[in-house]
This record gives sequence, structure tokens and C-alpha cells, in this order.
Amino acid sequence: MKRVLDYIVENRVLFLLVLFVALFVVFAVSVPGFFTFYNLTNMTQYGVELGLLALAEMLVILSGGGGIDLSVGSMLTIVAMIIGVLIGRVGLNPSLSILLGLFAGAGMGYLNGVLVSYTGILPFIVTLASLYIYKSLALIIAVDPRFGPNPMPVSNFPESFYFVGQYRIAGIPFQVLCIFIPVILLLWLLLEKSIFGRYLYGVGSNEKAALFSGINVCRVRVTVYTLSGILSALSGWIITSRIASARPDIGTGYELQAITIAVLGGVSIKGGEGSIGGVVLGIAIITLLYNGMQLAGIHQIWQLGSLGVVLVGSVLLNQVLLARRKI
Amino acid sequence: MTNTGFRKVLRRREFTVLGLIVLLVVLFSLTTERFMSVSNLSNLLLQLAGTAISAIGMTMVIITGGIDVSVGSTLGMASVVAGKLLVGGYSPFLVLLSALGTGLVIGLFNGTLIAFGNVPPIIVTLGMMSILRSLMYQLLGGRWISGIPPAIRVIGLGKWLGVPISMWITVVLIAFFTYFLSSRPLGRAIYAVGNNPEAARVSGIDLRRTTLFVYAVLGALAGFAGLVYVARTGIVQTNTGSGFELEVIAAVVLGGTSILGGRGTIIGSLLGAFLVGIIKNGMVLLNVPALSEGLVVGVLIILSVMIDVIRARGERS
Amino acid sequence: MEYILECRKIFKSFGGVQALRGVDFTLRSGEVHALVGENGAGKSTLIKIISGALLPDRGDIFYMGQPVRIDSPRKAQEIGISTVYQEPLVYSELSVLENIFLGREIRTPWGNIDWKREEEQARSLFASLGLPHHFLREPMGELSVGLQQLVLIAKALVYEAKVIIFDEPTAILTEHETERLFTIIRKLRDQGVGIIYISHRLEEIFRIADRVTVMRDGEVRGEFPITAVDRAKIVELMAGKLLVEEIARRGVKGDHPLLSVQGLTRRPRFFDISFDLFPGEILGFFGLVGSGRTDVAQTIFGLFRPESGKVFFDGREVSFGSPEEAMQAGIAYLPEDRKVQGLFPIQSVAYNISVTVLRELVRRLGIVDVRKERDIAEKHIRELNIKTPNLKTRVYSLSGGNQQKVVLAKWLSVTPKLLILDEPTRGIDVASKSEIHNLIAHLADQGLAVMMISSELPEILKMSDRVVVMHEGRITGVFEGPEKTAENIIRAATGERMAVAGGVGV
Repeated sequence: MKRVLDYIVENRVLFLLVLFVALFVVFAVSVPGFFTFYNLTNMTQYGVELGLLALAEMLVILSGGGGIDLSVGSMLTIVAMIIGVLIGRVGLNPSLSILLGLFAGAGMGYLNGVLVSYTGILPFIVTLASLYIYKSLALIIAVDPRFGPNPMPVSNFPESFYFVGQYRIAGIPFQVLCIFIPVILLLWLLLEKSIFGRYLYGVGSNEKAALFSGINVCRVRVTVYTLSGILSALSGWIITSRIASARPDIGTGYELQAITIAVLGGVSIKGGEGSIGGVVLGIAIITLLYNGMQLAGIHQIWQLGSLGVVLVGSVLLNQVLLARRKI
Repeated sequence: MTNTGFRKVLRRREFTVLGLIVLLVVLFSLTTERFMSVSNLSNLLLQLAGTAISAIGMTMVIITGGIDVSVGSTLGMASVVAGKLLVGGYSPFLVLLSALGTGLVIGLFNGTLIAFGNVPPIIVTLGMMSILRSLMYQLLGGRWISGIPPAIRVIGLGKWLGVPISMWITVVLIAFFTYFLSSRPLGRAIYAVGNNPEAARVSGIDLRRTTLFVYAVLGALAGFAGLVYVARTGIVQTNTGSGFELEVIAAVVLGGTSILGGRGTIIGSLLGAFLVGIIKNGMVLLNVPALSEGLVVGVLIILSVMIDVIRARGERS
Repeated sequence: MEYILECRKIFKSFGGVQALRGVDFTLRSGEVHALVGENGAGKSTLIKIISGALLPDRGDIFYMGQPVRIDSPRKAQEIGISTVYQEPLVYSELSVLENIFLGREIRTPWGNIDWKREEEQARSLFASLGLPHHFLREPMGELSVGLQQLVLIAKALVYEAKVIIFDEPTAILTEHETERLFTIIRKLRDQGVGIIYISHRLEEIFRIADRVTVMRDGEVRGEFPITAVDRAKIVELMAGKLLVEEIARRGVKGDHPLLSVQGLTRRPRFFDISFDLFPGEILGFFGLVGSGRTDVAQTIFGLFRPESGKVFFDGREVSFGSPEEAMQAGIAYLPEDRKVQGLFPIQSVAYNISVTVLRELVRRLGIVDVRKERDIAEKHIRELNIKTPNLKTRVYSLSGGNQQKVVLAKWLSVTPKLLILDEPTRGIDVASKSEIHNLIAHLADQGLAVMMISSELPEILKMSDRVVVMHEGRITGVFEGPEKTAENIIRAATGERMAVAGGVGV
């Protein structure tokens, strides 16, 4: 029995799977309205936005050297506002606007990456600063001079813009089927099968050895921060489409939830360790938890609280395991 | 000798920040009429007190090489507790003790997990932050607390010799902790732990106790800042103190405390808090609305840390 | 009480390797007792036991006539045994004064730190040592390593040290700093402090020591008053009747050098380094830690830019800007510190072996051919006889010897033309060591050029076709054939100039 427990705890993905199934069964039995096709598919819709950010955090934390991206929420917000303003106020073609938004995300991530890799400032500080900067840029963009100096949300989008966030294909939300799942598959390929993924794990687990092995450490780091920007931008686009509004405060507090999910999914805060399977299960568990609590009539503020408990609990568990592992 | 000593002073971060503050003060008093007015300045000091008080504790935490992102929620939680008790008519003394106690318990909890559970500080305090937000909601039930009795609001709004009482308290706390950090063995141990934990262990410093201590102090100070907040605004909401943690961390980092540990002063953090506060205040007066304040603070953080990095490189070669 | 410190029949082993076999060591008050021996002779183990970093398996330690158990560095310091390490353990951000007194502050009646009295005491300490004291308030990090050592000596005196251990203190000091240190050591001796002095530099021993103990293979091989012994005798005892193993070599060395280094200089690490390395040859690099061997290797590998000098590789002049470029040209470098520079401990065995060749395994779109990756890993696990449960096992769980084989495999998988090995067998068991030796010989026989840096004399003697000896950044000797003897090598490594360095092709 003890060995079975050890195995489950040691094998993070399995552990999360057990947790997921247990949670699922509990909700299915005790929460009315949970185990319906509509609810189950509907729930996935909400998981996408946070999920993309969690995947972004996963990449950045994996790259080691104290890697963390506190600016994902701000990048999400600014991209939402760029897309919103370009479509709603400038009247630009929606596809072009979205493309520009995604480019902006990549650019902001790239900037973070360059600052982290080439100046030697810790990621925590760089992204704390860019959290401020991007957030206030979003506010500035949101100002509509016609209505005075205050930032205003944008919500006059053409009907076609809502497709991504609100439509369903065979009952499954569009953004899940056509964005989230492809992104997960791509990242899976990247991490598990590609040379870049190999290098990323190398850089994350031992920067010096990576350098000695002929890996370009800086290039790898810049790439992951750029990817983080792109994923945040995708999230910003989808959220704007789903709630049919681009608001300048939309991404506040997301960064912490995203980090929590990545860590819960087994990504070691020291870098170099963690799998996409674990993080996807982490996303699933948190989505399930949010949904189940909501259906059970627990106020959504408790989502945060439960997230905190899960985060500290899972890392504490990790530490207990690490202490047993002899290095 | 005095010449190099003077150059040393010039090279210190505190001096750079002070220079920036003077520059901004001159700039704002020339470009706006209201900046130098008594009401504006005392308003500025009122708002600064909470940040400065928490920055004292945050400086100590960061000197040990740690971080605490739950200060905003700690402040919020303490203000909920204080607000409820005040409205319930309890004695101000008891309220003060409960606000301090609330913060202290939270800090001890953080510190225990970090020092004894070996969980990274960012994780512990991130989790704590979420948990406290939920608890605050539970306690408030989605409503505001208002109707704080005027007697207590003296702490937040009252003045003595034209300076807010909260600022007097801040000054006393800063004086005490500056003395503590520079002259008490435990205060120096905090620097030692952050600078070289291995050497500190050999010198017989108890790493775990020192770590626990700094988080506990930060908790208690954030708790006190919560009381000051209630007294100043007279309102407590579910989101009271959210985002506050970033402001405090920014103040400390701007003030020259190294995020790698081992270096920093409370005076520096106070100056950092002033810098952020003056930027906020001046921009409101200039009608460059609050929007671009984050922009300026963010750029300042990057620049100031970059100057340190470049300086360190220059000294090495 | 004749001795202040007395170690009797000390035994210590690490996982089957006997590091100390019944060592006796004594120290009087007011004497300098030098401890010499080759790497692996057991000096450091003995010092670690005396300074509380290790506990002996067996044996007794008497301090001031009483049996003691020194179970922590803290305890050693408390009872009066202080150690000054080569790289001092300091608080770089804190002032010199604090570095001296931290943990032992002088307090005022209110419990505050009494800076004034601390400074006074430090001043008088520094004055008694004949040192300037204007830097007491400066941050420790701004002092040179030499000054930092002196500060730590002052710290030892604050702890009222009766025994001070110097662990190769001069290895990274300038000449001037060394002189100052010696003056102070003599002063301390005259004040009645017992001093244990470890150094590889024999000339220093003769200048400073009163007694000398020579160790080899975990045993004491001789103990003499310094006046009763000469340099040759010490070298002979250090080298001993070295049991030099033979290794079968049948390869022939090529006619044209694969690597030709001419006048390579990167101050202050190394100066005017010139040598040739032929295909099929194993060129040993011997020298003390800090003699510049590793720096030369890393410069060739593209980690640093040289100030002057030329490197020819495979017939062309080269100047690599990064390891990436050096690797593409066909150079592999197995770094000295395998945990820090060589391995990805939390990654799998397969990952560690194949990471250096991934570029060749890419099919398209950057996707790695997993089957080829596995084949390469399996091939090397087989060839190097790496003992691992499976390919996915994380490397940190393997034994030291197998970890080293994984590092080796990692570099062999790139099929280099030149293989640079930096301490290839440090800290691994005897069986793995001999396997690795056979493998290196086999590779050279197949035409690979090998540059092997080692601090272990038997290894150098066994493996090398030719030996280059370095001392303080310069080549002090090149030995081949009958000249390649333990005594010659040790003499060159301790600073005796044995051959002209320029253009050594031999």
C-alpha cells in the first residue's frame, strides 16, 4: 500500500489523474446539473483562457534561472484592448486587427525575454515592471478622446467577431476544438519531440551544462518569453470574443492563477522539470473545481481560496518528495 | 579620503532616488499650482504611510533573499478584522492588538512554511494571497464595512504639527527598525543570511528562526498598515489592498534593496515609496491620469536595476 | 602537555574507498607544521576532520590534552581551531568589521552591537599583525582575495584560535600578498599559535615550516623537522614507488598535428602556451589546481577569447566564439565539474547522452528522430558498460562512476576529432576508473586526439604518451619516454623549470 502511494505521488501525472477522477466523481454524484453534456462542454469554454496562460507560465518556468512571467495578465489585457480598439473604434478589418494583436503579444514577450537574457535582471523584476508598463499602456489605449480622459471598454464588434468565443461545433465550443486543442498538440510536439524542447529542458535543469553542451541559452530563453506573449495574446483575443467586450481591467490577477496551475501541474519552480500532460491535467482540475463550486452555489471568490490551498499543498508535497530523493 | 567617501555616497542608490525625488518635486511645483499646497502634501503623506510601513517589513524579507506577495491581502484581512471590531464598538486598543495579531499570525504561517517546509516564498505567499482574499469575502459577505467611529480615524486622518499622525508613527517605526537592522545582532544576522547562508550557518546563525522572524514582522506591520488604512478611508471592501503588494515591492526594489539578498536599507525603501507616491500624485495633478503611472514606475524599476547591473559589471572589469 | 592537537590512528573511508588509514598527526603550540602530498593522498580529508567538516570512522583526537569530538565547523571554531580556506567563506556585502565579528559581536550593556569597541579591537589586532586598518568599514567584497584571507586570520584571532589551518592559502595570491601572509604566519607562530600549513609548493614549505609531514595513499610516509630533510627526499616520498599500471597501446600517432597551439596567452590565467597534439596521441596535462590547465582547455573550446596567440585546428587557424562553434568543428570538452558543468541531473540517461548530437538527429521541422536518439543512447550504454536500470532513469540516481561514463558518452556521441578530458576520473570508484582508462586508450588507438587534464599522477603516468606540466600559468616541462617519471613531473609542477616552454613539439 505504501509503495502504491509512493508510486502515485512520485508520478505526478498519475497523481493528478487520480485527483481529477476523484473530483469528477464527487461532483457528478453530489452536484445536480454537473453531469450533463451541456455543462461539461460549457465548462471547457472557461478553461481555455486561463489554460493558455498556464501553458505560457509552464514554458517560462521550465526555462529555469528563476523564470516566471508576471506580465501574462497585462499582455492579455493590452492585446484585448488593441483588438478591441482597432475593430471597434478604428474600424479595421477584424482578421487584420487580430493578427496585429497577436504580433503585439509576441513583441511584448520578446522584450521581456531580451531583458531577462541579456541584462541579467531577474525575471521576477523584469516581468513585475512589464506588468505595470503593459497594464498602463492598455489603459492608455482604452481612452477614447471623444468621451473624455477615462479608459473605456469597447464592445461594438461585428457579429463575425463572436464566432471564436461563442460558437460551437458539434456541441463543443469553437475555441476548445480549433484553438486550445491544436495549441496543446503543438506544444506537446515542441516539448516532447522537437530539438527546441530538448534544449529547453536542458537550459532549465542546468544552465552551465547547457552552455558547455553547445546550447544557445539566451536564444532558448528569449523564445519562451516570446511564446508566452503569443499565448497570452491568444487568450486576450478569445476572452474578448467570448464576453463581447474589450475591457482594460480584464486580465488582472490572471498571472497568479496561471502560475498556480503550472506548479500544480508538476512544473518545478526551479526549472527543467514538468510535462505538458501534467499541466493540461492541472488546467482540467482547476476548471472542474471552479465549475463544480459554482454549480454548488459557492461564491466564485472561493475559487481563488481553493486554488491557494491546492498550490501550497502541492508544492509542500513536492518538497517532501524532494527531501527523500537523494541528490 | 573624504573625497572617495563623498563619491561613495553619490554612488549609493538612495542618493539617486533622492535626486529623482527632488527633480520631480521641482518639476511638479513648477508645472502645477496645487502640488506644493499644504493640503496636497499632507494628502500625499497620508497615502504614503501604509506603503512605507509595509515596506519596512518587505525590505527585511527581501534582504534575506525572500519575497512576500501576500502583503496586500494581509493588509486587507487586517482591515476587515479591524473594521468589524470597530463597527462592533470594541475598544481601540483591542482593535489595534487584533489588527497586529491578524498580520502576525499570517506572517508566522508564511514563515513557517518557508523556513520549515522548504516551500519557495513566492509559492507560499501566492497561495496565501488567494486564500486571504476568499476569507475576506467570507467575512464581509460581499458587503462593505463603513461607519467607522470617528475616534479611531484620528490615526488615519489626524495631524500633529501639520504632519499626519500616521506619518509620525511611520517615522518612529522607520527609526526603530533602522536602528534594529544596523545595531542589533539579529538585525545584522538578517543581512548575513541573505548574503551568504552557508557562511551564516557556520557563524552559528539560526537560518530558520531568522527567516520566520522577518515574515512575522512583515505580517504584523502589514496588519498595522491595515488599521491605518481603515482609519484613513473609513471603508473596507473585498478588494481592499489588492495590487498593494506590487506597490510595496516596487518601492523596496527602487530603494536599492537587492532581490538577490544581503543588501538594502529601510531609508532607501522609504525613498522608493516616496518616489512612487510623488509620481502618482503629480500625474493626477498634471491631468496625465493614473493611466501612465504604471508606465513610469515600470520603466523606473527596469532602469534602476539595470544601472546596478551595469555598475557591477564596470566594477568587475 | 606536549601537543596542542594530537590525532591518533584516524581512519576514514568513503563508500569503500579508504581515504585515511590510521593517520597520526601532532601539532605543538608555536610551530608551523606543513602537510604535503599529492592529490588523493588524504590531506584534505584529515583537515576536514580536524576542522569539524567530517567525523572520523575511527581514531581519537586530543585537544589541549583532552579527548574531543569535533562535530561541526562551529564547534571547531568555538574551541579554538580556525581554518583559512583558499577561497574564503565571506559576506561580500557586509563590512570587514562585521565579517570579523558576526556571530561573536561585542555588545553594549543594552545588547546593541558596540561598533566602537569592535573597531578598536580590530585595529589593535590588525596593528599586531602589522596590517593597515583603513578598510575596516569597507564591504568585504571590495577587498582582494589576499586581504580577505588576512581578515579571516584576524577573525580566527577574535575566536582566540590556538590552532589555525591554512589550506593552500597561496594558490591564488600574488607574490606580494604571499610575502605578507608569511610575515603574519611567523608572527602568529611567535605568539604561540599552532599552525597547520598545506601547500603544493615545496619552496614555500622550506621557508615557513618547522616540521613537515608527507602523506601518500591515506598514510603518513614520513615526518621530519624541516632541517632534517631536503627537497629531493620529500619529492621521493610523495611520489613513492608509484605503482604505475601499464596500459596496452597499439595506435600510431599521426604525422601532422591535429591541434597546434602557439603562444596562447590570457592574462592572468596563462602565458605563452605552445604545444602540438597529434591524432592518436594522448597528451597529459599535469599541474596544480590553479596552474591554468583548465583555462587553456576552455579557451581552446571557445568559452573565452585569448588575448594573443594562435590556435590551428585540422590545418586551419581557428578562433571559436562559443562552444557551439568548437563542437561543430569537431572538438569535445568533458568539463572538470561534472555535476555543475557536465550533467543534467534531473534528466534521463538517454537525454544526457544524446543532447550534444540532437542537431544531427532532426528529421524536419525541428522534430527529433526519437528512434535514432534511443539507438545512440543504447549504443553508448552498451559500449561504455553504463549500469542503469533503463534509458529513462534520471542521471542523479546513478553511481558516481556511471554518471561520469554518461558524461563521457555525451561527448563521444558527437564523434569528435579532438577530445579534451578535464579530470575524467575524479571521485569515482576503482573499477569504473580502469574501464574509463581502457576506453580512452581504445579511442586514441582509433585515431582520436586526446588532451587529458588530470591532477592524479598515476593516471597521468599510465595514460599519457607525452606529459605537459604547467605551473602558475606557464609550461614548465614536457616529458616523454624515459623522461616521463613521477619525480620529473612533480619537480616541474612545484615550480622547478624543467624545459623551455616555447614551441614544444618534441
